[in-house]
Formats: sequence, C-alpha cells, structure tokens
Amino acid sequence: MKRRRFCETLAGTGFLLGTGAGATLNRVWAFQNTANLSHVEARYYKKHPDREIECLLCPRLCKLGDKERGYCGVRQNDGGTYYTLVYGKACSANIDPIEKKPFFHFLPGTDAFSIATAGCNVNCKFCQNWQISQVRAEQVPHFDLPPVEVAAAAERTGCRSVAYTYTEPTVFFEYMYDSAVEARRKGLKNCVVTAGHIQPEPLQDLLKVVDAVKIDLKAFRQDFYKEYVRGELQPVLESIRMVSRSKVWLEIVYLVIPTLNDAEQDIRSMCRWMAKEIGRDIPLHFTRFQPMYLVKNLPPTPISTLESLRDIAIQEEMHYVYVGNVPGHSAENTYCPRCRSTVIERFGMQVKAVALNKGACGSCQYPIPGIWA
Amino acid sequence: MNRSKVVVIKGKGVIDPAGDMARTKIVQMLSLGFRNLTGAREAGEGLASLFARGERIGIKINTIGGRKISTRPELSLSLAGLLIKNGQPDKNIVIWDRTNRELRDAGYSLSDSPTALKVFATDTSGAGYETEVFSHRNIGSLFSTIQSNFVTASISLAILKDHGLAGVTAGMKNYFGAIHNPNKYHDSHCDPFIAELFESGPIKDKHRLSILDALVVQYHRGPSFHTQWAERSGTLIFSLDPVAADAVGWRLIEELRSKKGLPSLKEEDREPVYLSTAEKLGLGRVGADSIEVIEDEI
Repeated sequence: MKRRRFCETLAGTGFLLGTGAGATLNRVWAFQNTANLSHVEARYYKKHPDREIECLLCPRLCKLGDKERGYCGVRQNDGGTYYTLVYGKACSANIDPIEKKPFFHFLPGTDAFSIATAGCNVNCKFCQNWQISQVRAEQVPHFDLPPVEVAAAAERTGCRSVAYTYTEPTVFFEYMYDSAVEARRKGLKNCVVTAGHIQPEPLQDLLKVVDAVKIDLKAFRQDFYKEYVRGELQPVLESIRMVSRSKVWLEIVYLVIPTLNDAEQDIRSMCRWMAKEIGRDIPLHFTRFQPMYLVKNLPPTPISTLESLRDIAIQEEMHYVYVGNVPGHSAENTYCPRCRSTVIERFGMQVKAVALNKGACGSCQYPIPGIWA
Repeated sequence: MNRSKVVVIKGKGVIDPAGDMARTKIVQMLSLGFRNLTGAREAGEGLASLFARGERIGIKINTIGGRKISTRPELSLSLAGLLIKNGQPDKNIVIWDRTNRELRDAGYSLSDSPTALKVFATDTSGAGYETEVFSHRNIGSLFSTIQSNFVTASISLAILKDHGLAGVTAGMKNYFGAIHNPNKYHDSHCDPFIAELFESGPIKDKHRLSILDALVVQYHRGPSFHTQWAERSGTLIFSLDPVAADAVGWRLIEELRSKKGLPSLKEEDREPVYLSTAEKLGLGRVGADSIEVIEDEI
C-alpha cells in the first residue's frame, strides 16, 4: 500500500522518479538525460589565483585547477568558480522506515522520505551502496527533484521526516540544506545519515536546520581509516563531539567487519571515549557486515561477535546498545537502563510495541532520551 | 640491461603563427618517429612490427582541457590515417576518451560507424563501464568497455602537461580516463595510483605504445590551459616504454620551467613520484642513465 500510495502521489507531480543501487524500490521509472547536471555555485570554498579553488567542505580540502573534479566526483571547478553538479538531482528517493537508517530514538515507527545524489567524499572498501556513492555525477541515472518538491513529496506521502542518506549527504550539502529548510517550513523534521567527514563550519550550519544525525564510525583506529576508508578518524570524532554538544539528536553506528575492526580493545577504547566525550545515553548500534564492493573475501559478521561487542559496550556502561542487520535479535529492542523493561519492541525495521509514556519508561518512568514526537 | 629507447621528434613549422597545425608535417613527424623507434626503413614496416593485421586498436586521447590543451585532432587522425594506410582496417580503430562532450569540445567529430574509423567516448550508448569492479592493489574501478572489451591493442596518445597534483600528466596518467572514478586517485601526488592502474591487466596487457603530444606544452599551472605558461614546442615523444616516455616528457617540462625562471617540480614538492613507483613495479625505466633518447628534427 505504501509503495502504491507513493507512486500515485508522485505520478501527478510531473517529475520522474527512480532509484539507485541499494534503494528499496524497483527501477520502474524513466530517467532524464544523465548529462543534465546542475550548475549551482557551491558553498564553502575559496578562490585562488589562476582559476584555482580550494574546497572547504570536507577535511580533504581539495585544491583544484580549472575543469577538475573534487574527490567526491560531484563538485567541479569551472573557470575558477566551484559548482555542485547534483543540486536537485536525486538518484534515489524512497519512503523508508526510520529504523532503516537506523534511528531508534527518533520518531520510532514513522516513515522518512529518503533521498540521495551520487557521490561520496570517502571510499570505503566495504561500501554497501557503492553503485551510487562511488560514481561521478553523470554516471548514475538521476532525476530533477528540487528542494521544494522534496518537502512537498514528503508531506504528501505522510512522512514525518526527510532523510539525507544512502550515499554521503556532505557532498550534496547545498541540496540537503535547502531541502531541510523547505521541509521545516512544512513542519517536517530532517535527519542525516553521514560518515561525519565534514569540516566544522558547514556542520555547524547544517545543525541549525536538521533534527537528528546518525554518524557511521567506521573504526576507532586511524590506520583503518587510512587503508579501508581513505579518510581520517579525527575529523569524524570532532563531528561526533560537535553534534553531541548541539541540540540535534545523535546516534552512532559501527559496522563490524570480521578481523578488520572487531578487536575488543578497540571497542572498549571507543566506548570509553564515547562515555567521556558524548555521554552514555547516545545509542550505539553494532551492525552486521555483508561482503560487498572491494571486501568480498570476508564472511558476514558472526552474530556472536556482535553480541560480544555489545556486551563490552554494556560493561562500559553504555545505556543503549543495539545489534543491527539481524532481524529478530533481542538486541533490536530498547530496554530501560534502570528497570530493564522493554520500552520499544522491534523486529527488523518494524516497531512492534512502544511502552513509552511521555518519553519515559512505561514501567518505572525513567526518562529515555530521544525525539519521540 | 638494455636502455629504453625514447624518440623525440621536433617539427619545424608544425604550428603556424595563428596556432594552426600543419597536418602534412605531423604525418612526417609520425613517420620519422616510427622509423627511429623501430629501426624500420619505412613507417609501415615499423607499425607492422607493433600491431598485427586486424587488431582492434584503441587510440586513447586526453580531451579534458578543451580545444586549447587536448590531444590535437590533427595528430590523432593522422596517426589513425597512418595505421589505415599501412593495412589496418579503419573499422578496427577507435579514437576515444571519457565523454562525447569533451571530444566535441576538443574539436573532434564523432563517429560510431561500424564500417569506418570510430571516434567516440565511453558515455556513448552501447559502450559504458563494466558493471563489475576491477580490483588491483589500491585500485578498485570500473573499466570503460572500450578499453576492456573493444580494443586488443592500445596506444596512449596523451597531451603532455604540468599537473598540480601529479606533477606531470602524460601517457600513463592518460589511462585515468579509462576508469569511472579517477577523482579517487589524486591523493599523495596520485601515487601509487597511476602506476598501479597502469599495471592492471586491462591496460598493461594491451598497451603497446606511448606517444606524447608535446606540440604545445603546458609547463606550469596545469592541467588547465594558461596562455602565459604554454609553449609551442612542436614536439612528439615516442616510446614502447611507458615510464621512459613520461620521464622524458617530465624533463621537457623541467627544461621549459627552468628556461622561464620557474622553480622545478621538486622545489614545488610535486615531483611525479609515480614514475619511480612504476619503475619499482617493473613497468619501465625512469633514470636518465636507463634511457636512450634519440632526437631528430624535420
């Protein structure tokens, strides 16, 4: 019903819709000319002599000559002016349960109108959506979906929020920001699913228009970030700190890859860092890896590994620790840290029961942090 | 160990005062280059030693710089003409790059005729990229099907330019245009990425020849075009050793920089370190002592 409602709603709007790899709907819509890229001036860059520019959006700080593309593949220097090529050019648009992101303490049981464009500013060898994230703007089918239409479609389809997700929203910052402003005008919330590889200034600006951020912490070691992510750990930790100190809701996801980032000591160090820097109430999700992209030689994460890492996090007194990508696992549920009652019962991406009373445990009234309505 | 041979041909008057190229002179330069490179008495004989009759030959050009600083159509079409004149079926030759827009902007007329010389890009309908990621050392990319499927022999006909990140862009880096994600390989002066990409099967197994278009050399502030740092050098560089060809191209850029009072690439901390990596991988020779340079003028 949901998909039918979505299609019917969009059919009357005049724009075409399609999905990219990793998205949930089938490829049933026609696409526009893939060479039809946007040419909207980017924010956060500096002009240098001789038509060179320096991008200030992410920690890479790409310095580019005329006609060159940033690492992300979706921002280009044309004649000394820097442009985003994907403004309003969605390659994916779907209605997803918010639990898919995953957000477990943010509007549980609601739908998020979820969009992405091509591109990413890191290159994780285990990327689950590489067909749309690790490509240049013109290499993936996309369609026109300007910010005002994002908000309108989200409202028409009954979504409570707009999610910027699937690829790396940092690289479509301008599109995300303007869509978030439009969504707020309609009383919708905004949530961001990101690797957190962003400079402080744009992140600070983004936090003014969004309500929740989920950061994928890929590991707690710089050498892992260098080899498997092609990025830096410290800026991600800085982003996590910054979000935690704002009024925006934060959740952390840690994709556990067998032998690569599952050392118990690393997890213990990470939890201690989290407890000290961002507090014990931030939800932490240990999710199951599936072989993908350039890491196909490893098996899916054993469930016992996820459980054992969760145990460590609980030993370190993290209050809300989840296991993800294991439908039916008891650690999908939210438990009250005080009385251990089940506060939210889930199965996969479905919410089965909610025992919250005005944001507190239905049994003992212990306040459960989150954005619940 | 034998030294690698690099042939440098200067064409007197190949560029007229208006900047136009003399195609007859370019053909003469190519012929002389092939003779000197292969030791053959005739260019045709030299070409026959490099390409079997009926091979599908890809001429990979670099057109990102627009009309002013891309592989010249006069050069690539002359090279194709020479191959055809010496017995290669025209339908088996493709002049190609990443996008048709870039080809057109650089002055090329497109053709995907099944019975004639082809000029088209990876984004042509029916071409595209492979759908399976090719993984090799630090490289994980989708190859253009032109490189992976269509061609059996490859010529890198690159424009020689200064490059802000790599130091020098020439024959080896030209193959960045054969993959879908070159933007992922610009860290640390494109090293080891240029060398490792070249070492991958779809390139190394097919590459036969490097020819550098140094007719106009952007010796500073590349890879984009800047009139004040572009020298009408009127030169072509040939080698069967891809590393040696680029190394000689690098020297030409350094000579021009020195002549114009600019610091060396090393002084600007952007030496083309990928060449040393390529040598370590056994792809060719980089040191001056390892390269025999044969210079000629026509």
